[in-house]
Amino acid sequence: MKQILNIAHYEFVHIFKDRILLMIVFIVPLLYAALFGIIYVSAILQQVPLGIVDLDRSAASRAVVQAFENTPNFKVIPQVDTYAGLEQAMKNGTVRAGVVIPEDYAQKQSQHRLNEILTVYDGSNLIYGLNTRKYFQQVLNTFSAGQTAAYLAGMGMTGQEIANVMDTVSFRLQVLYNPTFSYATFIFLGLVIMILHQIGLMGVGLTVTREKENNSWIQFMSAAVPAWKIFAGKALPYLIAGIFNYSLLLWVAAFFVNVKIEGAVALLLLLGLLFEVIIVSLGFLISLYVPNSLQVTRYIMLLSVPLFILSGYTWPGTHMPAVLNGLARLMPYTWMAEGSRLVTVKSCGPAELGVTLLVLTVFAAVSAYLAATFSKNRKPTAQTGLAVNGTVSYPRK
Amino acid sequence: MFSQYWAIMRREIRYMWRDKSMRTILLFVPLLGLFLFAGVYGSQQLDHITTAIVDLDKSSASRQLIDGLENAQHLQVVAYPDTYDRLEELIEKGRVVIPEHYGRDMALHYQARVAVFIDGTNMAYATNAAGAVLAVTRTLGAEAGVKTLIARGITPGQAQEAYRSIEFREEAWFNPTLNYAYFLLLAFALNMWQQCCTLASCMNIIGENGLRSWLQIKASGISTFKLFFAKSLVQIGVFMLIVLPVYLIAFAVLKLPLASGWPALLLLTLVFTLSLHSLGTLMSSISRNAVNASRYGMIVALPSFVISGYTWPLEAMPQWFQPLAWLLPQTWFFQGINYLTFKNPGWEFTGHYLLALGLMTVICYSAAALFTRGVKVPRRLRGD
Repeated sequence: MKQILNIAHYEFVHIFKDRILLMIVFIVPLLYAALFGIIYVSAILQQVPLGIVDLDRSAASRAVVQAFENTPNFKVIPQVDTYAGLEQAMKNGTVRAGVVIPEDYAQKQSQHRLNEILTVYDGSNLIYGLNTRKYFQQVLNTFSAGQTAAYLAGMGMTGQEIANVMDTVSFRLQVLYNPTFSYATFIFLGLVIMILHQIGLMGVGLTVTREKENNSWIQFMSAAVPAWKIFAGKALPYLIAGIFNYSLLLWVAAFFVNVKIEGAVALLLLLGLLFEVIIVSLGFLISLYVPNSLQVTRYIMLLSVPLFILSGYTWPGTHMPAVLNGLARLMPYTWMAEGSRLVTVKSCGPAELGVTLLVLTVFAAVSAYLAATFSKNRKPTAQTGLAVNGTVSYPRK
Repeated sequence: MFSQYWAIMRREIRYMWRDKSMRTILLFVPLLGLFLFAGVYGSQQLDHITTAIVDLDKSSASRQLIDGLENAQHLQVVAYPDTYDRLEELIEKGRVVIPEHYGRDMALHYQARVAVFIDGTNMAYATNAAGAVLAVTRTLGAEAGVKTLIARGITPGQAQEAYRSIEFREEAWFNPTLNYAYFLLLAFALNMWQQCCTLASCMNIIGENGLRSWLQIKASGISTFKLFFAKSLVQIGVFMLIVLPVYLIAFAVLKLPLASGWPALLLLTLVFTLSLHSLGTLMSSISRNAVNASRYGMIVALPSFVISGYTWPLEAMPQWFQPLAWLLPQTWFFQGINYLTFKNPGWEFTGHYLLALGLMTVICYSAAALFTRGVKVPRRLRGD
């Protein structure tokens, strides 16, 4: 035990000596979480800039305009009042949606002829597009109901009769788990786990390469310390930091970004522990087999986007080819992101999380086993001919 | 006169080729990214949202309503649970019974109320589903209303009129089919590309003055400007060369939209490449070693896509944060790419973007030059 603690102490000294490593281990995760928190803190897309082209300018068309002015989902931009202006404003992003009321709107309405209102929205950003479509439907459903009620009243029906007719089939829409359509609840936790994944690997990934570059790895290899103790000692500081960061970021998410975090705390901690064991073990393995710190840094950095997209956290795995979905299932990130979402958003218990926990446990066991049983007889990486940057010794001032 | 430039450029090509990990990254990562994301977004639209219907009425009328739902666009009815409890269970364990989220579920009480539930966990599904559901419910509600009116002895013509006095035509401009591949595929691939370029340009200065050969270069009397100018030319050329196949495959093979045409796109890409390279060079000039340079570069490059507002819009971010987002070249690039591929906003609009990116380039290169000029050859390299 003393040997492990000695190595851990030595690793801690390294972390505190290297200012950038210290930042990466303790500050950068929080910084990134704060940054993404600021970006997603509003959580709901409202005040979509809307241009209304009212070609009729009658009292009746004014009622349509008002229906859009009275919702916080839209912000009417008064400068846009012609069709050409709407086209131009949609192109340069001044408005993201538009409504065109035809010039004979009031006339047709009084004659009870079919009227057509055009609603357009910007499909170039689907977050805008899909939300705007939903908002349009909401406004228009309410507006149509009002129109129908007015028509029936005009036919001499009483209020009660109208209500009876219109309630023949009434639809009550209820959104479960994330009723406000909060984007923060949707995406923030996935980003937090990606931060822990990447920054965790970046920290622990240098633990062996640093020794290699200082020519001190040979001391570890030749010391009478078993491989598993070297791994345990070197991994311990990062494991502690990782669990600290995990708890800290969840707290930030819940209290500052208002992300919905419910469900059993014990279950969340268990997931975090398993995940951190995987990260620390994988980072150690990478560090063991990659020749130098520069390459570790380069490769790890590039992982984040593909891992995130592939995980099905945003675009669901059911809509991906089976091969890619299978590939995603081999990544710990996929399971961790999904598991933590099930606990925090859906308040799932151990029963629903059974498979996720099992897979993560297997991942943790296998990666820790491989890291703890590395061969101490491995030859150092061979130098291959003349090479410039990015080889066994990389540029440093 | 130019032979020295030429020699440095040839040397730089060799330099980049010899750096094996960088070579692999530059040659393969952007294309791999493109293919991977093309696979992920291959289905292009989020349709076939798995739906369950609980029919507590089991009358012919409710059967009719179910028919309507089954025929609705984007919906795929996959289960008919008997009770509401069973439905809740399905939603909770959705991913187990039917893989992935239980997109949308409906409990049905005819002649009373129809409750519609949407699983809000995945927003990509939820907003899509909510929009579709609201459209379906308006139609179905109107149909039922018309029938009721007719049953009450009102003429069919009048009944229709009551419900169909206004029709709403809905158009999604620029991306009429709400195609996710159009929206995200190229942007994600370019995100990978800009990360690779950041990594490479972070080697620009440290890759020279961090090596012992720096002494020789200093002693040989080649001007620092000439050296880094020639090096930068090659690197920028390489960055442009590796983005070309990405563009070609995206537009010619995958048929993604390109509203503005090639000249504007290539010009924006070129000016962005310059600004990105200048930023990498700046990071390179202030770092003590190549690892730190790569770290600094990536600390900016990694979150830049999220900051750029390409997905979650800039307008939805806090007011005070928006000007800060525009300080990153990536924000101008990804916003510009969105406008150029979908909308063709015209040269006047694009001009602002080019100008801003050009300005950043000048500032970053100047700062890098200042930092590099002040650096003396460190004792460790002097060999004395």
